[in-house]
Amino acid sequence: MMNEFSKALSVSSSALRAQATRLRHVAENISNADTPGYRRKTVPFRTTTEIDGPPGLVTTGRVHLDRSDLTAIYDPSHPMADETGHYQGSNVDLMIEIADAREAQRSYEANMKMFDQARQMSSSLLDLLRK
Amino acid sequence: MFTDLNVFQVAHAMAAHAGHRQALVSRNVANADTPGYTVRDIEPFASAFETDSGGFAAKGSRPGHFGQSSSLGGLWAEITPEAPADPNGNSVSVEEELFKAVEVKRQHDRAVAIYRSSLNILRTSLGRS
Repeated sequence: MMNEFSKALSVSSSALRAQATRLRHVAENISNADTPGYRRKTVPFRTTTEIDGPPGLVTTGRVHLDRSDLTAIYDPSHPMADETGHYQGSNVDLMIEIADAREAQRSYEANMKMFDQARQMSSSLLDLLRK
Repeated sequence: MFTDLNVFQVAHAMAAHAGHRQALVSRNVANADTPGYTVRDIEPFASAFETDSGGFAAKGSRPGHFGQSSSLGGLWAEITPEAPADPNGNSVSVEEELFKAVEVKRQHDRAVAIYRSSLNILRTSLGRS
């Protein structure tokens, strides 16, 4: 019984950690939106199975770099500009990053709610022991 | 009611069912953004209890008891509800899961309340307050 609750708590906290990692990479992407040659980072989510520890936890995999084309920005006075006057910016799309950040926040909140509920349920159970 | 303390066993099974379901709902919410994850659930307590007990016969509450039944032993059939999946193969709906979570909380509260009130009746009948 208590085991179920500790399972629920550990699953929720693993998801909180995963969403926080995702949010950190989104923040890195946004802060490097104007860095020349920067490729946006994405982080995949994965469910653990019986093979690697307790099943059902969420882990983040290796960071991937977005392989899409970098944007060419026209600025002949830029030190990195080529003979046509263009230089390579980043491939960060701010709208995608903000949508991603918002989704991560929503999921974080939902997991927080589940964590809190499991905690409340176990403490109400423990209250039975008190007179 | 108190000859074989059946009410405690049912309340215990109800709370255990809620705890188990809470773990599953937590897992579903946690994996709401994991590609390829399919949502999981267990059958509701009422139907598990009915198919299992067939009334208020005495039941064993732990493995090894005579006539031990699955709903009181903590084993419930896991089901995978039909749900439309996202393009990435994930079929979790956070709204649905939060709704289930509230249901689970109410069931658990109800079970604890029944247990506590039965305990109080038992205490009173023993002459303690």
